[in-house]
Amino acid sequence: MASVELQGLTKFYHKRRGVENLSLDIHDKEFMAVFGPAGAGKTTTLNLIAGIVTPNSGTVKLGGRDIGGLEPADRNVAMVFESYALYPQFNVYDNMAFPLRSPKFKMPEDKIKERVTHHAKVMRIDHLLQRPIQALSNGQRQRTALGRALVRNPDVFLLDEPLSHLDAKLRHSMRAELKEMRTQLGTTTIYVTHDYLEAMSLGDRVAVLNQGHLLQLASPDDVYFRPASIDVAKFFGDPEVNIFDATLKTSGGSQISVQMLGENIPLALPPDVVQILNEKHTSKIQVGVRPPDVRIAPEGDKQAFHATIYSFEPLGTKSILTLKAVDGSFVRALVDGHLTFEIDRRTQFCIDPHLLIIFDGQSQKFLARSADSIENS
Amino acid sequence: MDRDTGILGLLGPILRNLILFLYALFALFPLIWMVILSFKPDEQMFTTTFIFTPTLDNFRAVLGEAGFVRSLWNNLVISGLAVALSLIVGVPAAYALGRYQFKGREDIAFTFLSFRFAPEILVIIPLYLIYQKLGLIDSVFGLIWVYQLISLPLLIWILRGFFEDISPDIEGAAQLDGYSWWQVFFKVLLPMVKPGIVAAALLCFIFCWNAFTFALQLGGASTQTSTVSMTRFLASDTVHYGWVAAAALLAALPEVILALLIQKHLVRGLSFGAVKG
Amino acid sequence: MAELLYKKLVKQYRPDLPPALDRLDLNIRDGEFIALLGPSGCGKSTTLRMTAGLESISDGQIVIGGKVVNNTHPKDRGIGLAFENYALYPPLTVRDNLAFNLKAHGVKQAEIDKRVAEIAKYLHVEELLELKPAALSSGQKQRVNIARALIRRPAVLLLDEPLSHLDAALRVKMRTEIKRLHTEQRFTTIIVTHDQLEAMALADRIAVLNDGKLQQFDTPLQVFNHPANEFVAGFLGEPPMNIFAVKGDSNRRLVVPGTEFSLPITDFVGRLLGERKSVRLGARPWGIHVSQTPSEVSVPGTVSVVENLGDETRVGVRYGDMLLMASTDITRVYKPGSKVHLTFEDEDLNLFDEDTGERLTA
Repeated sequence: MASVELQGLTKFYHKRRGVENLSLDIHDKEFMAVFGPAGAGKTTTLNLIAGIVTPNSGTVKLGGRDIGGLEPADRNVAMVFESYALYPQFNVYDNMAFPLRSPKFKMPEDKIKERVTHHAKVMRIDHLLQRPIQALSNGQRQRTALGRALVRNPDVFLLDEPLSHLDAKLRHSMRAELKEMRTQLGTTTIYVTHDYLEAMSLGDRVAVLNQGHLLQLASPDDVYFRPASIDVAKFFGDPEVNIFDATLKTSGGSQISVQMLGENIPLALPPDVVQILNEKHTSKIQVGVRPPDVRIAPEGDKQAFHATIYSFEPLGTKSILTLKAVDGSFVRALVDGHLTFEIDRRTQFCIDPHLLIIFDGQSQKFLARSADSIENS
Repeated sequence: MDRDTGILGLLGPILRNLILFLYALFALFPLIWMVILSFKPDEQMFTTTFIFTPTLDNFRAVLGEAGFVRSLWNNLVISGLAVALSLIVGVPAAYALGRYQFKGREDIAFTFLSFRFAPEILVIIPLYLIYQKLGLIDSVFGLIWVYQLISLPLLIWILRGFFEDISPDIEGAAQLDGYSWWQVFFKVLLPMVKPGIVAAALLCFIFCWNAFTFALQLGGASTQTSTVSMTRFLASDTVHYGWVAAAALLAALPEVILALLIQKHLVRGLSFGAVKG
Repeated sequence: MAELLYKKLVKQYRPDLPPALDRLDLNIRDGEFIALLGPSGCGKSTTLRMTAGLESISDGQIVIGGKVVNNTHPKDRGIGLAFENYALYPPLTVRDNLAFNLKAHGVKQAEIDKRVAEIAKYLHVEELLELKPAALSSGQKQRVNIARALIRRPAVLLLDEPLSHLDAALRVKMRTEIKRLHTEQRFTTIIVTHDQLEAMALADRIAVLNDGKLQQFDTPLQVFNHPANEFVAGFLGEPPMNIFAVKGDSNRRLVVPGTEFSLPITDFVGRLLGERKSVRLGARPWGIHVSQTPSEVSVPGTVSVVENLGDETRVGVRYGDMLLMASTDITRVYKPGSKVHLTFEDEDLNLFDEDTGERLTA
């Protein structure tokens, strides 16, 4: 059990950037999700912690101790690779027993058997122990790889996209099962993924990386509801968040309202947001609205924006509605699956100002979001 | 696009097989002719009909000659040791070329391959002079050494591909599992490339076994290999075609057996990708 | 544009193997958008290739616009095919890529220019016309690819996994564009895909295939809400439907033996069950209502896992080997170990025959 500290880590592969000046503090027993698109530097981060690659500069500390000079074998970290990296010449049992037979973690065979059977049960692969690796499904391979990492009580557990090779359906159920098992791990875990659902579901905190840089380090709720920048907001949520240019109008002293989408409908901002905007003296903003927060309004609603229906895509329980606003910008809404809409018909929609995510128009960084939006649930 | 119908549809496959059969016959004919020759008595040697009285005289004569049997043994020892040396040097070399990014990697790999480009006859005179100076003419070690030109490039190029196919993740995993690099190499990597090693070693053995130019020029009485020894049946006045054929057949036998073994390992070597899922 | 019929279409690659496509009957109306949906090896790509004429027909007929095209050369079938990997000609500009086929057919230059301009406008590639394919993004390549398939004014447009090479965000955008394009132009379109969301979002009707056999052919919402069998139910929908075996007990309840799961059999369910003692039960995560208070028809359970996914919270309740997932709007009241009560509405409940997998209907 240990904390992990990364300080100013930089790794370049020739000219290609892996990570640059990355600092991360991972608490003891924390489950840290490292999220980012391809090329964000996620796997590089894991490899640096594991000691498989050496950094150009920066330090890795494990439990407060600098482990920079240590061989991978001496770091007592366990890793589950995206490719699973199982040994094809062994069966499931021997794969899981392999670390316990190493000179480093050696233990008697009867002890090994006990450990392997115990963890095989946890992973629900106890009926597969004698199978060769080639005869396993992807889901079973993934669980074998997890089992192999678990058997030897590592200080830190590194997981590299363990669910990415599973089909979409299996990914949903395995994610939930992984979360269920999490309590049994009880070990500091760093989980790398490009799937925002995995990051939000599993992580105590989420580190959002892009192109080797850390964009945000926060709780899943904060990353979703208070994203550090427009980029982060776009990474989380499907369909993607709507981003609009907006202008601020001051009316009646302390009142500030937002105007957007080419209409003269002032949305009065909640007081806590107004306060932040006043402190920062911002005039140019962009706002983010998540598709589930766009609501179709009844006809005659004075506070509603006008639009025509550009496209309607039913997905079963929910449907994606793409609306074309007066100024020509597109607005995506996620609506109940029972409703049907006719293309090119006029409609109205409204947006609750409490749910607006407000970004600085210049830097595209997060400015404010009303605290009420999450508390009411 | 259209479907096979009626007589044409039936005729197609038959015609195809017939053409293949004829080609096989054409390609294999020299071999078949050699087998026939080896069983022919001397007096029927120059008839071109396929009717003859089979005899084992040729085999008796060839095996009766101590020199030929000894040359088979020589060939086995020299080729076997040559392959062994190639393995010791080539496996680590193939690993390094397959795994590490270093300056001039492709140049080095290409240099190895280029050993196979030049015809042996081109380098034989300088080699002969060098060997003479070093006193390596007609020595087992000398032949083993020069055979590296034949087997090493082949081995390195085949095994390099095998090592490249192993995900670096496997090495990382084994290191994290508590093994040092050497243990990872012997316990994890070598077993994984075993099919490749067996296939490459057997191929190398066959090439060494068949080597003629080096063995003829750099070998001598005590290191005569079977390929060289066979030439003795081609005297200037009489040519015992039957003996030559029988000797060639005997010399080819180990290769045929090994080739059959290779087949199995080549298939295993090719279906190697199972690790990646 | 034309209608397209498959009549008892069969593809048999080898006599000793089951057919890759087994007597497919589909009636595709003029202007309709159809999705062929299924896992790999289900026969959807075979169907597409047979339609395009790239694969021979073992038995049955393909009829395009009233004409049997079984023995018609691919180029004369009036098919526009947009390949999965774009297959644009790299040395040619977008304009020449689009014009390539028309030139081959001897269309006059003036006519070519007119058609290129027209199609470029529809697909928003006007500003790309002088670029080479290498300079295009993958979304742009896909649009050019579709434009090239459409420029010949085909009777039927075939799309082979058109979105599979795009990243997730772009996929959703491109999906909307393809849908919009179809609404504007109404060309008979067949899309082959393994992505059920793509099929649901785009198609007027979905043909679900498995093992070469048609499982169901209906509108997206019908297929989603009234799946013909367990395969269709499991294949469509994300998060996936919970499907598990239950047994009827003597107290008129459906139970998972050895667990807390015990669901009262309503009249409706009773009618579906008939004489059956054991069935497989299917419930979509959004169709299960989670509550802290019990009711007469609720099923007790203990929360095993909670996933907070922004605007959605998923609650997992374990019954033996089965982890039952229920989706709710965002909520923070449930924790692992919480006691909950699950309610299954009749209309959200699917029962499947244990042996055939068919959905039971009253």
